[in-house]
Amino acid sequence: MSDVLLEVDTIHTFIGQFHILEGVSLKVRTGSITALLGRNGAGKTTTLRSIMGLNPPRSGSIRLAGEPINGRPAYEIAQLGVGYVPEHRAIFRDLTVEENLRLAERKRGDLAKRSDFIMSLFPDLKRFYRHPGGKLSGGQQQMLAIARALVADNRLLLIDEPSEGLAPIIVEQIVAALRQMAAETTILLVEQNFAMAAQLADEYYILDDGRSVQHGRMADLVHDHATIDKYLGAG
Amino acid sequence: MRDRFTSSQWAGLTLIGGLIIFPFVVSLFTGQPVESGVPKFWQGMLIQVFILAVFAMSYDILMGYTGILSFGHALFFGTGAYTIGILLKHAGWDLGSALLAVIVIAIIQSLIVGLLSLRVSGVYFAMVTLAFAQMFFLLAEATDFRQWTGAEDGLQSIPVPAWISPTTERLRFYYVTLAFAIIMYLLARQVVNSPTGRVMMAIRDNETRAKVLGYHTLTFKLIAITVSGVMAALAGAFNALWNLNANPAVLGVGTTINALLMTIIGGVGSLIGPMLGAGVIQLLGYWLNVFFGPSWPLLFGIVYILIVLFLPYGIVGTWRLRSAGWLAMWRERSRSLIRFFNHP
Amino acid sequence: MIEWIQRRRGLIAGIIAAILFAMWASSQYEPRVLASILLSGLTLGALYFLVTSGLSLIFGLMDVLNFAHGTLFMIGAYIGFTLYANPRLLLNTLPFVLAFVAGWLLARWLPFSSLPAGHRRPLWVVAVLVGVFAVWGFELAPLATTALSSGGRVPTEQAQAPVGLFIARTLGLAIAGLIAGAAFIIGSEHARRPANRDLAWPIGLLALALIIAPLRLSAEGWILALDSNTRFLLALVAGAGGGAALGGLMEWSLIRPLYSRPIYQVLVTLGLVFVGTELVKGIWGPGGYFMELPAWFSRRGPSCPSPNLIAWLQDNCASIDVLGRPFPSYRIFIIALGIAMFIGIAVLLRYTRLGMIIRAGVQDGEMVQALGINVRRVFTLVFALGAGLAALGGVAAAPFLGISPGLGQEFQLQAFIAVVIGGMGSFTGAAIGALLVGLARAFGDQIVLTGIQLPWMSEAMTFSPSIARASTVLIMALVLLLRPAGLFGKKE
Repeated sequence: MSDVLLEVDTIHTFIGQFHILEGVSLKVRTGSITALLGRNGAGKTTTLRSIMGLNPPRSGSIRLAGEPINGRPAYEIAQLGVGYVPEHRAIFRDLTVEENLRLAERKRGDLAKRSDFIMSLFPDLKRFYRHPGGKLSGGQQQMLAIARALVADNRLLLIDEPSEGLAPIIVEQIVAALRQMAAETTILLVEQNFAMAAQLADEYYILDDGRSVQHGRMADLVHDHATIDKYLGAG
Repeated sequence: MRDRFTSSQWAGLTLIGGLIIFPFVVSLFTGQPVESGVPKFWQGMLIQVFILAVFAMSYDILMGYTGILSFGHALFFGTGAYTIGILLKHAGWDLGSALLAVIVIAIIQSLIVGLLSLRVSGVYFAMVTLAFAQMFFLLAEATDFRQWTGAEDGLQSIPVPAWISPTTERLRFYYVTLAFAIIMYLLARQVVNSPTGRVMMAIRDNETRAKVLGYHTLTFKLIAITVSGVMAALAGAFNALWNLNANPAVLGVGTTINALLMTIIGGVGSLIGPMLGAGVIQLLGYWLNVFFGPSWPLLFGIVYILIVLFLPYGIVGTWRLRSAGWLAMWRERSRSLIRFFNHP
Repeated sequence: MIEWIQRRRGLIAGIIAAILFAMWASSQYEPRVLASILLSGLTLGALYFLVTSGLSLIFGLMDVLNFAHGTLFMIGAYIGFTLYANPRLLLNTLPFVLAFVAGWLLARWLPFSSLPAGHRRPLWVVAVLVGVFAVWGFELAPLATTALSSGGRVPTEQAQAPVGLFIARTLGLAIAGLIAGAAFIIGSEHARRPANRDLAWPIGLLALALIIAPLRLSAEGWILALDSNTRFLLALVAGAGGGAALGGLMEWSLIRPLYSRPIYQVLVTLGLVFVGTELVKGIWGPGGYFMELPAWFSRRGPSCPSPNLIAWLQDNCASIDVLGRPFPSYRIFIIALGIAMFIGIAVLLRYTRLGMIIRAGVQDGEMVQALGINVRRVFTLVFALGAGLAALGGVAAAPFLGISPGLGQEFQLQAFIAVVIGGMGSFTGAAIGALLVGLARAFGDQIVLTGIQLPWMSEAMTFSPSIARASTVLIMALVLLLRPAGLFGKKE
């Protein structure tokens, strides 16, 4: 179980004329939770978007299970088994919870097959199954966004700031759910909340100013206060 | 600052000089008198180029400098044409007061249309301005005002003062329109190089940022529309004087497309570009008409689409990019040459 | 309560205005006149709806404002009318189109993708040259206009090229399509993907083209021998289908390369207005045509007008009695068509997966893509759907308004106004806006007929139809002042 599922090799990404990623490299092992840490504007979200094909890198390579995926359109990358939970959740507000989930089906019956698992993780979604997504609370929207990535058979989940703006009690629920999910799939997690990332992740990468500067085992980082102060601020 | 002409100013002066002696050059080459025949014909061609150049330039102040996409520019051009026509023909005004009235009406019109349309932005603005232009097009066609506008036949035989009649005093009309184009160009340059012009460009690049910097962007957009509208109306007035008539087509979509075409072919975001574009369009139209007869508008449209697809920066923009590329290339070459001699 | 009133003041003002207007209208006109004005308004509203719904869907989903939507409406009218009255033109051009597409598809099947990318440009040039050579000297205008000229029909044989030459041209276009298709796939993304190797499509299309080619002469007779109702239904299908095909082609070839330059997309669609209008003028001539009503809507006789809709189903009268005033039955058909399409689109949006994707895409196209859905393909589909709706409207409008190259711009203007009133990107808004503009136009037309006498006027004022048409712009100005985002639009 220690083979590499995702390998990102010195990618450079531009948004408009701005050079956002200036050589990010990372490896995500199958079955692990890898946390992507760094200050605001370090390029964490852009890294996820580059992997997803939403901001394709201008150079460098991205491989999923050995197969190059950079330069391919986002929908093809998704079809290869990559689930995306974006920043600010991006659920479809006018669609019901059910429709939000159904939209994520890649073949007929996906939802029926995984429905029980999803509902056991997030019982709230069952209660609001036919309500429009826009009527849900922030925490429920976050759950829906994660659930949406679980509908199809995904090998890799890219999750961007799942704890952002949520009450501690909800964050605990989400941590529990992510831990259960990790038993079945691989997760690359962007998280500002260091405590949460430290609870969950096996490995970490730190981005600073568009570059990957340090990586290692999460267990080691927790005690490395110098690094935490240097790159993550008063974490 | 050195008080010397730059090379582009020299080029401009040379161009103007060339245009001043142009009628006589043609006369010299063809052996025909300057007041008739081929020289007279080519003066006519260039008169239309000058008028369209002002129209295209006015369009670029909106689109290229302020980033406002209007699809109703025919509105100003056509209203200018109708205003001067009606005042000369039915009200019996003299030319000077009629031109003044064109300016006043254009200011009022652009303020009203601007205030209404600027409540929306982007393509919405384009759509709303198109609707306003179409309204005036329909009004020009309406039979209710036949005694003033001539309805669908248009305003025929506008009495242009004899001293600049485009038929009998062609040469004088040529110099008047040339002067008109030059004055308009200088005015437009003043506007875009002024602080106001810089705010306009800031709005084009990023309106939110301009707002954050404390500019009341609506005011500056209104200024852009008014300047542009007045210039377009004057171009329309001259067009009516040249054609001796004004028909509903000057208010139609075709007129707006013409402005767009000249601006895009010449190059968005420069004053010279659209003027050049006007020349290209006028001559291209003439030759297409000669070679392809009645199907030339179709070819024209296809050329337009191809340019939008493949030459988005127009002549001037593409030339600037290329020349910048060449310059960089030669600089690099000369540097490597120097390096070669310094470190053999 | 007060807050509620403040929040809904636009709605309340609208309702009050509507009530005042209704009171004025009912005092001004007798009920039967009012009924026929309202029905006329509904008729126009239904036609506008067919234009605005597509316009609004396309804008909502892909942020493209299609200025050529009215042009598609007009082209739909011409295609439907041509099938209805003069199938000669379609029969003589359809094989060319089919053969070209067949050749294009065949290129994917052949091993062209291994050619070096440098061959791309020369291949395009060759394809254009072969295509031009294949149709050199083939004129459309005689085919389009001879059969329709008032001097009676030109015998079919005279208007058509000999079969041998025609088949040669068809094959030539197939070859041009093959070369163009090859040029297209070289170095593109198709090259590295397993090609769609289904041979049935290209061969089937080519076979169809070659079957039609020798049968053109007799097929024209067969189609014209069909009864007018069948031809009318065929015209609706052909117009909508042709419009959808053109719309899809337009998105794929001209709009798609420009998603990174949105302004230029709009510029291209404006150029297409010009090209489309000129093309139609070139083929069908600058004048207009009138399309005859099919038998269902044209019977006259002692029992006419039909007393009600049920009776009309049997006697097919040209008009139906509405409160003692005859109202053309064809306009009732247009209203029904508009309502059917409204329900159809609503069902599509509400209950199908495509509709779900569209609703989601209106909000966040990027996220839809990140879920593994090819949004670009949905874009093309929706563009085709919208274009098909507009073209369908064009065919339906043809017997009612006549056909001319200016038809498109007229509808475009009113559709834009309707969309500004209703709110861009909202399906309900598109429907309500279309209805309001339709009603405004109907009242305008009535005022044109009878003049208007407001309380302070000594005698009735009269207008020309142009003023009635122009006046809808004033409604738009009013809405812009009160609610720039439109009645159902979301605040920016």
